[in-house]
Amino acid sequence: MNERLNVLVLDDEPIVGKRLQPALAKVGCDVEVFDAPEPALKRIQEKEFHIVVTDIRMEDIDGIEVLERVMALHPRTKVIMITGYATVEVAREAMAKGAFDFIAKPFKPQELRDVIAKAAESLGFHGLREAGVE
Amino acid sequence: MSGEEEGTAMGLEERGPSEEGRAADRALLHRPGISIRTRLTLGFLAFFFLSAAVTVAAWYMLDRLEVRIRFLEAADRYTLEIQQARRFEKNHFLYGTPLSDVEEHAENAEALLQKSEEEAGRILSRRDFALMREHLRTYRGLLRELDALERAGGTNGPRRAEIEAELRNHGTQMVTFALELAQKEKANVAATLALFHRLPAVFLVVLLVLVVLTANFLARQMLGPLTRLMAATERIARGDFSPIVPARRYRDEFTNLAVALNTMMRELVHRQEILVQSHKLQAVGTLTAGVAHELNNPLNNIVLTAEMLKEDYPTLSDRERLEMVEDLVGQAERAQKIVKNLLDFARQGEIAAERLDLGELLRHTVSLAGNQVRMKGARIQLEVPPGLPPLHGDRQSLVQVFLNLILNGVDAVAKGGHVWVEARESSEYAGFVEVRVRDDGHGIPSHVLPHIFDPFFTTKARGKGTGLGLSVSLGIARQHGGDIRAESLPRRGALFTVLLPASRVPAGGAEPGGREPERAVE
Repeated sequence: MNERLNVLVLDDEPIVGKRLQPALAKVGCDVEVFDAPEPALKRIQEKEFHIVVTDIRMEDIDGIEVLERVMALHPRTKVIMITGYATVEVAREAMAKGAFDFIAKPFKPQELRDVIAKAAESLGFHGLREAGVE
Repeated sequence: MSGEEEGTAMGLEERGPSEEGRAADRALLHRPGISIRTRLTLGFLAFFFLSAAVTVAAWYMLDRLEVRIRFLEAADRYTLEIQQARRFEKNHFLYGTPLSDVEEHAENAEALLQKSEEEAGRILSRRDFALMREHLRTYRGLLRELDALERAGGTNGPRRAEIEAELRNHGTQMVTFALELAQKEKANVAATLALFHRLPAVFLVVLLVLVVLTANFLARQMLGPLTRLMAATERIARGDFSPIVPARRYRDEFTNLAVALNTMMRELVHRQEILVQSHKLQAVGTLTAGVAHELNNPLNNIVLTAEMLKEDYPTLSDRERLEMVEDLVGQAERAQKIVKNLLDFARQGEIAAERLDLGELLRHTVSLAGNQVRMKGARIQLEVPPGLPPLHGDRQSLVQVFLNLILNGVDAVAKGGHVWVEARESSEYAGFVEVRVRDDGHGIPSHVLPHIFDPFFTTKARGKGTGLGLSVSLGIARQHGGDIRAESLPRRGALFTVLLPASRVPAGGAEPGGREPERAVE
């Protein structure tokens, strides 16, 4: 199991990607960050990621559609949805459509790392490095 | 009638509407009061006095007629006496009958003349009357002289013949005068009688004219204010709550009605303001959900950035740290802006008329609704042509109208649906600007369409809508001298058209709405 965990982060807020990139890299993930759905979907067609983290509400293509596309292409990929206030129903719909879990904004980097760790474990990855807080 | 129309001040004056209404009330009441009761009383009194005057005149004329008839009798008797005197005079000279018979009748004639001196003087000229008396006096003088002559024994002689000739001469004259007097008086009596014949006819004609005039006057006095008050109620029904101001110089019972109507309008305006405010709070509630959702983005950015700054602080370069702090500040400002927009809208603003740029106002409204639109996954498209004339009105209220229509549209469309907002100059109503808010949602069923502007009518689930939105919006539009029309496009959604009067010539700007809305509302 030397393979590194491939993670794609999609959120139309650029700061989210900017902060999550180092946060996830620290724990040993290979992170690719996108702030628009189209290039992200294109990348997903090229490469099978272990984990896709996507925001549900975006301008053009929403997270549910991203989820459907990923599920269709790579059923093994774990998709984690980021939801906001008042989209809990959408999150539930996402779970029904095969999302691994969802996390509500605002969240701390460690919360996402915990969810990713769980997803990684279900994929057979172990020993995801503990985030070095102190 | 004064002919001036019942003046109306604009609904959206710089001063408060209630103060304006009170000023109108003061003007209404600060007029000399002549009640309708007083006017009716005066009218009927005038009639009474006219009838009384005619009665008195008739009575007076009748009295005069009586006097004249009596005088006519006297004149006849006088003529008779004179004629008798002359007959006896003739007999005396022919048959020597006693002269005292002549004297007796002449005396009677003089007594009659004495008694009706006043009357006769009025009928004959003073000179003629004096002449008449003179003849009689001379006649009697001659009689006395003749008597003295005959007693002295001179039954013949030149003096007697002389006296006889003079007596004859004066006698003829007296008879002529007497006949003339009687004839003149007969003519007078006939004239008076003829007048009496005409009098009822003249009185009837005068009465008819007066009745027509009085009826007309009273009708104008009562129907005029009624017509104006009816016009005022129609105006009120259209949502123009400007107070009724005086149109006449006097106040009466209708004034109380006008004051009552003004009071009613003040209450209506007050209620309307409460409705507007309560609906605004409901809109704020709707927007709050969107704002709360939207706030999560900057908050999330702040949490992520702050956490990472804390985690990696020792390993970060100064430049990286500075960048993160700047992100923190930027995102905090973004959050503040989101909240500020909502608070600006929620704040209870004084209703104030100002010059408004419709394009800017619509852009602001669309951005206010932006969170809702994004949450729903809908699209909103705004089209404002350049060079649109400005409006005059209350910014907060108009934002509320458009926001309400946009939010309704967003509610109606399916995910990914569209709402279009287009502003343009109305092609149908000159001087008006129209804003069309269209959606491609499910449309409005035809049985619902006539009721959508009714207060508290709602098709939304219990607790989701107050049913005030459209009713309040229509109220605001009408206060601005405009209107809102709704259409349902079968299977193509709904179209709401807001008509608002464009602000005319920039100078002064004292005429916010103009009077045209009547045309728009018909």
